[in-house]
Amino acid sequence: MSLSEKYRAKKYQNLVKQDKAIEEVKTFLNQFPKKKKALILYGPAGTGKTSLALAAATENDLEILELNSSDLRNRSKLEETLRPATQQKALFKKGKILLMDEVDGVTGTDIGGISELVKLINLTSFPIIMTCNDVWQSKLSPVRQKSKLVEMKPLDLGTIISLLMKISEKEGFIKSPHFLKKIAIKSQGDLRAAINDLESYSQISESGAEIDITEKRDVQTSIFNILRRLFKERQDFLDLFDNSELSLDQILLWIEENIPKEYKNEALVKAYHALGNADRFRGRIYKNQHWRFLVYQNAFQSAGISYAKDNPLEGFTKYERPKRILKIWLNNQKIAKKKTIAKKYARLVHCSTKRIMRDFKMITPMIKQESVQRKLRMSDEEVAYVNNLR
Amino acid sequence: MNQTNIWTEKYRPVTFDEMVGQQEILKRVKSLVQALNIPHLLFAGPAGTGKSTLALIVVKELFGDKWKENYLELNASDERGIDVVRQKVKDFARTKAIENIPFKVIFLDEADALTKEAQQALRRTMENYTNTCRFIMSCNYSSRIIDPIQSRCVIFRFKLLEKKDIKKRIDVITQNENLNLVEEGFNALYESSEGDCRRAINLLQATASISPDITQDMITMVSASAKPADIKVVLDYSLAGDFIGARDKLLDTMLKDSVSGTDIIKSIQKEIWNLQIEPSVKVRLTEKTGEAEFRMTEGSDEFVQLQALLASFVLAGRGEA
Repeated sequence: MSLSEKYRAKKYQNLVKQDKAIEEVKTFLNQFPKKKKALILYGPAGTGKTSLALAAATENDLEILELNSSDLRNRSKLEETLRPATQQKALFKKGKILLMDEVDGVTGTDIGGISELVKLINLTSFPIIMTCNDVWQSKLSPVRQKSKLVEMKPLDLGTIISLLMKISEKEGFIKSPHFLKKIAIKSQGDLRAAINDLESYSQISESGAEIDITEKRDVQTSIFNILRRLFKERQDFLDLFDNSELSLDQILLWIEENIPKEYKNEALVKAYHALGNADRFRGRIYKNQHWRFLVYQNAFQSAGISYAKDNPLEGFTKYERPKRILKIWLNNQKIAKKKTIAKKYARLVHCSTKRIMRDFKMITPMIKQESVQRKLRMSDEEVAYVNNLR
Repeated sequence: MNQTNIWTEKYRPVTFDEMVGQQEILKRVKSLVQALNIPHLLFAGPAGTGKSTLALIVVKELFGDKWKENYLELNASDERGIDVVRQKVKDFARTKAIENIPFKVIFLDEADALTKEAQQALRRTMENYTNTCRFIMSCNYSSRIIDPIQSRCVIFRFKLLEKKDIKKRIDVITQNENLNLVEEGFNALYESSEGDCRRAINLLQATASISPDITQDMITMVSASAKPADIKVVLDYSLAGDFIGARDKLLDTMLKDSVSGTDIIKSIQKEIWNLQIEPSVKVRLTEKTGEAEFRMTEGSDEFVQLQALLASFVLAGRGEA
């Protein structure tokens, strides 16, 4: 058993510095199912999310039914394992907690995974606890609305050092506080990472161990940090996006949205020019499947944006998430009826739906005629839509 | 009642003689049809010059009353992917044509909307069904059609309709519909149609829905109110230095009226010359606009290129472009 498993907190009192989160979980379990039926523990890795869920089960003498993201989470799997479980009584203990670890791991391949989870929350007669790193991704939005959200913060340096000290004492290898501090710094608040590192040095003498505290684990960089560095600093930044969970194309949208918040005039022009170049290479990738061009897209949307200004910038800027995709989606909902009408009309007049959509105002008087509406076999809603047009 | 009260359809020419303009093309196509055999045809030319109309006339002349069973019309810009096109062609080509003519006709409108890869696939389809089907394809620019397809077709290049040609068709309509269209009214109609007969007729009908006595002002008003994108506001915001305002306005305009980026660029290019800025700046902005239009054809996201262009306008507003 690894040290990090061995020293996993089993009870509330072993969980350090997470009193607030513990209180929230207690309230959640007490109130169940009157308020929310599910709870999401979110925060960076190694802050004790899974431990807290397991501790909650132990403290309340509940059985735990656990599913990891490594399990195949498709619709049929969920139905066969979880549906009955939500309604059966637990075998030995007085109740159950359903634990869905790492819900952000539910990906596109788990068809219906998220929607099934929502159904499950609606149906369950046992509390559900989920864990994830980033609770704010859009795909989790339906689950978010159904759940109580509890944040777990990264542990501070002192806490990690004192825990490492206790563990090394118990395990019988003594390390100097200075050495433990280095491990703690490197872990960046991730206790599990710190314990794993400690274990890897347990058989090595301190003098022989080189800890490079600048060598960070691949911590996911949030998009806000990426934007801040990109816009404020002047650097080559070719690897800036490497640790982002967002794709290059998604990042492009974030940059696009926020350029005018930072740059004015000359820099604004240069930045959009660079972004335009990035988009051109992306176009060539799409058209010719020439993936080598990715390096150019990356260079233009990193260094190209950073060097658009003459000097580094200061001050705090509040970046916003890209609005365009949402606007397009909302608009598509709004014009759906218009589109079905245009499609019918286009067939009749031998021309493309696109052209009719463009000329829609011009043809409005034509489709207001009852004879034409009949000829087009318009539905009642479509007729109402047309008749309401100015 | 088979008549629809949509004038572009009601007054669509149904015989060679009714068609206006394109006289050379008509002569050649007519002789092909009289021989009861046509090769694949490619009609290239601007919108509203008679490409679809001529295709319809060809099948009506060939098949008479039975034209509907022997004719398939597909619009490449609406069909989702070449696979859909191929499947439809396959289903259609399965049954035989009527006795004296050994082929059916497929009209593929806006064929230049297909990607090069899709066109390659289409070329295979053309070959597979060459015994039972003839293709008539239409496009705005024949240069956007791959060479192998061009070489399998007889190409006809349609020209913009002249004023007198459009007048002929409009006169037929005004007489039949008892409209009173003064000469200045027609001039305005022609101006805003830009040689596109479909547009002229649509504008005429939209205006006539207000009153049968049509003046120049009415035409101008209807034409202006039906104009999809009001790009001037967007440019005004940019020149005043409000980039974010300009950008929001641009996106709203594009979404509301389903206007493509290319259409926006076209309006910008025209609108530059009406702006209150130094003529030399206008020239430079035109250069930027042309560059943006070109970059748009290479990129994958038109809106990114449009924003780059708007940023140039912001600079121009400060006299720094």
